[in-house]
Amino acid sequence: MDKYERGERMNLKNLPDDEYFTPGHTACPGCAAPIIVRNMMKILGKDTVIYTPANCLLVFGGTYPYIAWKVPYFHEAFENTGSSISGAARALKKQGKKVTVVGIAGDGGTYDIGIQALSGAAERNEDVIYVCYDNEAYMNTGIQRSGSTPYGAETTTTPAGKKILGKLRHKKDMAEIMRAHDIPYVATASISHIADFLKKVEKMKNIEGFRYFHVLSPCPTGWRYDPSKTVEIARKAVDSGMWTLYEAEYGEITNIYKPKKKIPVEEYIRGQGRFRHMTPEMIEELQRWVDRKWERLYGEKP
Amino acid sequence: MNLKARKMVATGDHAAAYGALLANVDVVAAYPITPQTLIVEDFATFVDDGITDAEFIMVESEHSAMSACIGAAAAGSRTFTATSSQGLALMHEMLPIASGLHLPIVMPVVNRTVAAPIGIWCEYNDIMPQRDSGWIIGFIEDNQEVLDMVLMGYKIAEHHDVLLPFMFGLDAFILSHTVEPVEAPSSDEVMKFLPSYKPIASLDPDKPMAIGTFTPPEYIQEERYQTDKCMRNAKRIIKNVTKEFADVFGRNYHGLIEEYKTDDADVILITLGTVTGTARDVVDELRGRGIKAGLVKLRFFRPFPVEEVRMLIERENIKAIGVYDRSVSYGVGGPLYIEVKNSLYGYDLPIINFLAGIGGRDVVKGDVEKMYKILQDVKDGKTRKDIVWINTRGVKE
Amino acid sequence: MYEIRFHGRGGQGGRMAAEALALAAFLEGKYAVSFPFFGAERRGAPVRAFTRIDDKKIRIKTQIYEPDYVVVLDETLIETEDVLEGLKPDGMVIINTQKKPEEVKLSRSVRCATIDATTIALETIGRAITNTAILGAISRATGKIGIDAIEKAIIEKFGARLGKEAGEKNAIAARKAYEKTIVGIAKAGKKFEGKKQWLPTVDELPLGGSIGTLQTEAGLVGIGSFSENKTGGWRVFMPVVDEQRCTGCKICWFYCPEGAIKMVDNKAKINYDYCKGCGICENECPFKAIEMKREVRI
Repeated sequence: MDKYERGERMNLKNLPDDEYFTPGHTACPGCAAPIIVRNMMKILGKDTVIYTPANCLLVFGGTYPYIAWKVPYFHEAFENTGSSISGAARALKKQGKKVTVVGIAGDGGTYDIGIQALSGAAERNEDVIYVCYDNEAYMNTGIQRSGSTPYGAETTTTPAGKKILGKLRHKKDMAEIMRAHDIPYVATASISHIADFLKKVEKMKNIEGFRYFHVLSPCPTGWRYDPSKTVEIARKAVDSGMWTLYEAEYGEITNIYKPKKKIPVEEYIRGQGRFRHMTPEMIEELQRWVDRKWERLYGEKP
Repeated sequence: MNLKARKMVATGDHAAAYGALLANVDVVAAYPITPQTLIVEDFATFVDDGITDAEFIMVESEHSAMSACIGAAAAGSRTFTATSSQGLALMHEMLPIASGLHLPIVMPVVNRTVAAPIGIWCEYNDIMPQRDSGWIIGFIEDNQEVLDMVLMGYKIAEHHDVLLPFMFGLDAFILSHTVEPVEAPSSDEVMKFLPSYKPIASLDPDKPMAIGTFTPPEYIQEERYQTDKCMRNAKRIIKNVTKEFADVFGRNYHGLIEEYKTDDADVILITLGTVTGTARDVVDELRGRGIKAGLVKLRFFRPFPVEEVRMLIERENIKAIGVYDRSVSYGVGGPLYIEVKNSLYGYDLPIINFLAGIGGRDVVKGDVEKMYKILQDVKDGKTRKDIVWINTRGVKE
Repeated sequence: MYEIRFHGRGGQGGRMAAEALALAAFLEGKYAVSFPFFGAERRGAPVRAFTRIDDKKIRIKTQIYEPDYVVVLDETLIETEDVLEGLKPDGMVIINTQKKPEEVKLSRSVRCATIDATTIALETIGRAITNTAILGAISRATGKIGIDAIEKAIIEKFGARLGKEAGEKNAIAARKAYEKTIVGIAKAGKKFEGKKQWLPTVDELPLGGSIGTLQTEAGLVGIGSFSENKTGGWRVFMPVVDEQRCTGCKICWFYCPEGAIKMVDNKAKINYDYCKGCGICENECPFKAIEMKREVRI
């Protein structure tokens, strides 16, 4: 870690060997969440306290008495990541400890049941990091739709039925909601873009105040694709504009990644069982959503 | 912090906030709700005036208040909050998490009716449903006891044989918004009585621990036993701490229950909350008229003083027991009545339940006299009724 | 009453098989219950499911500890755990394998039926989903439940989920398996080290379970202890590194969800104790230095 300590920016070459989330965890093969967590922890390091609400990570990260975490870890409930980490962070501040308190919630725990506590903590500008690993449905309970599930996707509560084919509503733009909180840092990231991912983790580690870090987390089980394709699908999500990488400081977008060649959304959904039933009209509707988002974020038509 | 001993005229809410100040709490997380608001406001004033350097988290809901308290207590800090009514109901999910993790949070609950219909006045249907939450649950008679209970609360809750969270009820408006004289000890005296909190677990990167992990059946039953044992231990620790408090500060609260003129009483009434004070006056007046009335003030609902209640009955002078409840377990009677009957299983003695003051209706001396009159009649074999709704239109008493 | 325990991996349909067997018994006029292991296991992890069948109403609601039959959907499981655990002395094990019963080595000699359900499934259904073919083998090996009822149950249960045609194909797979099942005796001789479990008393258990790191008789528990759980047994395909091609770029090291790849002398080294065989490393390696190969367990 010498070079890094000398001020060199974190990159794949100097990313530390240290692991703070041990192997032996029980995530499905090909799950993106442990990729996110392992590599994020390499940068956040030893002086980190981790909170997870109810989610896959809670379960695959440890079943008593076994725990994958090598740093202080706690769990309370589902809907209160924002407030739970607020309490821990304030207590550690009062104790004079220099510790990064990080909550890692899924999309259900962020978009839906956890949005109140999250919004409250952000509005108070608590000195914490909130990570949303977004696999676009309630995977821990068996693939039920969430506010993050994209349009058309099949879940066990939005089945591709005889009358209704998958989810009728589009994905909620959570990062934009967080951007509206006027907080020091909002970043979206994808494991497919390693340098960008590492840069963002490193940057947020050194910011004081509320930091919101939102990473797309492809799920082979819930999205129904071959586990080896996790990174490939994450890359296509970015390249199609389904997932946009940016950083925002106090509400202003300071850095945004634009795919060199925008691929049609059809190319992204191909190979994912959750979209298999989609009609051409439905694919068009999804493409319209992507294009609207594109125009809003880049200020130009795609 | 260097606060001198002082005599003040304070609301119950202020006494609670001042108690937290004296207890030198590290973190407060709270959300305002009538009639608990004064506690939050007063503590905010302590923080903004620089009287305390506690962290005050003004959360966006009671659920988050308790979540933040649990996070802070898990990190090893002394933690305080307060709530009431609907707020306590919203917090309900988090309460067994605090006790399951053995975090000695102290929380005054300003007892207020739970909707529907919505009201803001005193009833115990907010706190009674928390019976099995694993929290110690106390009740309060006056504002002095509010302040003292905060201090005793931490001492009891943080004891390593207990390590359970601690809530106590104070009656909405009757205490929360009523001023009366309260003696506050100096912060130095309090420090001696209540040294800093020594947690058994914390979130320290140098000694990492996992708190609240996903746990299979192989371990949960043992953890439940531990909590049960802690609650049983709490009886002993409550008695010890109350005695120590009396020795240091000169105010004796007599442990789990306080008896008033029971030595030769032939009828007794078991009360909780502010009705106790009114009942003391009624007992005195009845005694003046030659009626052998006695009173038992119940200070703790959890742990429940089963042995203490039984010991009363072992004295053969008592011929009838009345139990006052300010909430109903529908179809069965009041929660305290159920507990007293459970404690006195096997004894052949009439136990009458009086339901009064529901929804904040004032319980006046005449109501309490009525209770004693019914107890007299029961003792004399003139009447026998199990559950009596006092002062309820269209319902025979 | 007789009891059956299914061993499979999360996602292989062991639970569906156990339920379909119960349905078949029901269609024959019997009383049957079926339930999964009540847990939170993930796709690929070893999982269990259970079926209990009787002529009269089954009232017992406990889990099954001493089954009459053990069914193994995934051959690799017999290498990583003692599937015979608790099996009655005169019980029988039914295994999806290309081997003959005499070629199968287990913890003790036991009545054994084998069936190459994977090949049958590939030929008949077009996918290596073996949870219907195995039901045919159960019918043949146990002689307790008719193949007609099995077929009917499959058409009803799988047809409802996958469509009529798929339901029928699955029923054919079961019939083929019924015809090809071989019954014999498996060999003894495989040794399993029983995994010890940390079972502290109420006084030994840290209050509320809050735990640091603890070395116990059963190994490490608490912080950082999940490494005690060797997930390599989940693997069906194994990544093999071609050191000539590996440039030490660290991409696979970054992407391994298990952290099972270490860089040693600038080459990727895979820790097979933990690798679950997801194949991300092969897919992402820019130099085609990693290849997924069918796992051969000895």
